[in-house]
Amino acid sequence: MAGKSRWADDDADAQARKREKEEKRRAKAERERRAAEEAAAQQRQREQEALQADDRPTDHRPTKRRRLSEEPAPEEPAPEAPLALLRLTAPSWSPSRRVSIFEQLNHIDEGTYGTVSRVKDLSTGSIVALKKLKMGRIGDGFPDMALREIQTLQECRHAHIVDLKEVVVGTTLLDVYLVMEFLEHDLRALQEDMVEPFLPSEIKTLMLQITSAVEYLHDHWILHRDLKPSNILLNNRGQTKLADFGMARHFSSPPLANMSQLVVTLWYRAPELLLGTSVYDSAIDMWSLGCIFGELFGKEPLLQGKNEVDQVGKIFALRGTPTEATWPSVRRLPNARALRLPSTAPPPPSLRPAFPLLTTAGVDLLSSLLELNPAGRPSATQVLTHPYFTEDPRPKSTAMFPTFPSKAGLERRRKKLSPNAPMRGEAPRFGAGDFGAALGPIGEGGGVWGV
Amino acid sequence: MSPHASHLTNPLATPTQLSTSGSQLDGIPPDLERSIIFAGARLTQTAGQLLRLPQDIIARAIILFTRFWVGSEGGSLREYAAADISAAALYLTSKLSPHPQQPRSIVNAYAYLDSFPTTFNPPSAFASHTNQESYFLSEAACSASKLRLMQSEAIVLRVLGFNTHVATPYTLCINYLQALDVFPGPRATAIARRAFAYLNAALLSPQLVYLTHQPHALAVAAIYLAAREGGVKLPDGEWWAVFDVEREELGFLVVALRSLEGFVRGEREAWGGRRVPLSLGEVEAELERRGVLERVE
Repeated sequence: MAGKSRWADDDADAQARKREKEEKRRAKAERERRAAEEAAAQQRQREQEALQADDRPTDHRPTKRRRLSEEPAPEEPAPEAPLALLRLTAPSWSPSRRVSIFEQLNHIDEGTYGTVSRVKDLSTGSIVALKKLKMGRIGDGFPDMALREIQTLQECRHAHIVDLKEVVVGTTLLDVYLVMEFLEHDLRALQEDMVEPFLPSEIKTLMLQITSAVEYLHDHWILHRDLKPSNILLNNRGQTKLADFGMARHFSSPPLANMSQLVVTLWYRAPELLLGTSVYDSAIDMWSLGCIFGELFGKEPLLQGKNEVDQVGKIFALRGTPTEATWPSVRRLPNARALRLPSTAPPPPSLRPAFPLLTTAGVDLLSSLLELNPAGRPSATQVLTHPYFTEDPRPKSTAMFPTFPSKAGLERRRKKLSPNAPMRGEAPRFGAGDFGAALGPIGEGGGVWGV
Repeated sequence: MSPHASHLTNPLATPTQLSTSGSQLDGIPPDLERSIIFAGARLTQTAGQLLRLPQDIIARAIILFTRFWVGSEGGSLREYAAADISAAALYLTSKLSPHPQQPRSIVNAYAYLDSFPTTFNPPSAFASHTNQESYFLSEAACSASKLRLMQSEAIVLRVLGFNTHVATPYTLCINYLQALDVFPGPRATAIARRAFAYLNAALLSPQLVYLTHQPHALAVAAIYLAAREGGVKLPDGEWWAVFDVEREELGFLVVALRSLEGFVRGEREAWGGRRVPLSLGEVEAELERRGVLERVE
């Protein structure tokens, strides 16, 4: 053991070993290729033999036996009717490829936790979107939000959920990129550039697509938790795809206790989250869907609160104040203690005045999605069968969808100020005073608000 | 692919991946590689138990650990220490679970387990291992270990192509026992325990059965063995076909699961009072020792 080990690791040694390894790898690949060719040739020969055998009369049994004893592998005839067993497809895994296989075309957008660019795959020439994950220091480990997003997207295969093609890496351990299909627009930026809002028939198509993606997620026990127009991508063929799964997580029935209430971008956040619940379910996504539905008609976000308290105020102004009767468990929510909810209140104001162009069925759907009581909101599956989608005007075929100039990065869009998805940290607790100030004028109608 | 299938299936190693490994291309003898991966899987199991993690999470970590080493593009034992990859797999798995672990806890658990002079210890060794200085980590050593943990985590993710999906067979196993009317029954608990024991042991199998077979097949094989040992009568006929398992597959798995005991006994005898090399230095020393032995012969 004394003296310099012959395995001692100096640079030259390591280099030599690397080269040797590469050579062995190549040699092995070559051998495998040859073996595969030979196997294929044999297979072809066998198939020919089999064909010839089939030409002979079928009652000529010895042929079959002989073939069996020689080669049991190819299409072994089962003695009885073969069992129809479920064969599960099993993918494999392979190391992440390098980001250098892509050529940068242009920058698209900077989100809360990553930069997105449009790039070209140098080997196939296809155009894809590349999202560079924002990382802290290496000492903090790989962000679990990014891990969740990757895991969720890998799990989801749906026509209206963005396809995560692969994860590629750069030179340092901190460079990680998601390769996703490229879509020309997102709904928020697109609406900012549109002169007129979408037509009712177009809104139906968009809503059906988005809702079917949400249905798929909920069927797979996944909550998106950040549904909003800027996370809904649209291509020039009228197809939408849900993106940005950084907030997504699995849920269960009955719901898990102690989930984070700091989810969903403020303007799309359901009232139960604002009132501090930590036990919630798919109904929070349905509320966001209602906000998006309303936004598609007005071209402007429906409920633009300045902060949590203001958001609650805006919601109650639009949908009335909750009572024991309309939302039985509301008083037990942590932040509701600061409210003195009325025992009786006038029925919620109709959404009709705000949406004069919406049909009765449309108003019914929107009111049900924007129901204060989460238990009263429909499921995604129920939304899809709502009469609103079958009455005239019918949903517009995606082939007839208008196209828009692709802005994705080709010119810098002016960015309107809109709140970002909530960051980790303390959820705000409201004091009684907060609500008194924010809800003063609304409270006059029915309830008496906290002192 | 049928809906929800992803919760029931695992990505499997391809035949090419199983034919070689990064370690073998780097000159590690296959038997040494087998010993190290077995010891690394055991280390992951023990560390997970020390951290009081549920078995389901530990199993996921062991499966990720095992996947890391297969194939020519897999990790090499001369490049990455088995103990580091084990710690990273456990950290990563816990992070994705409802029981995330602090890096400090992981580092401490591995420092403690590293302080044992031999790899194969009787259970009593833990009670008598009271020399606290042997596993004390100074502040500096602790932050160095934490940094190594993060680097190993990034490497595990890269080698696995960020595919961290693992399906375990435990729930299926209970489900199948219910379908077979073993549950509820007088011997249900004993049979389920025995089947779980087989499933846990299979995580350490040198045939890497979790990389070659889907959870439903593993569950059926474990039930088959547990029922036979427990003297519980299962339906006549090919009941495993109901769970989409072929006779050949079941036969292979039954033999594999039963051969594990002999393999472990062999390992214990081979390594006796020594340590299975789980760090880069120990691996090089072991290779040198073998080189020396060869020269003497």
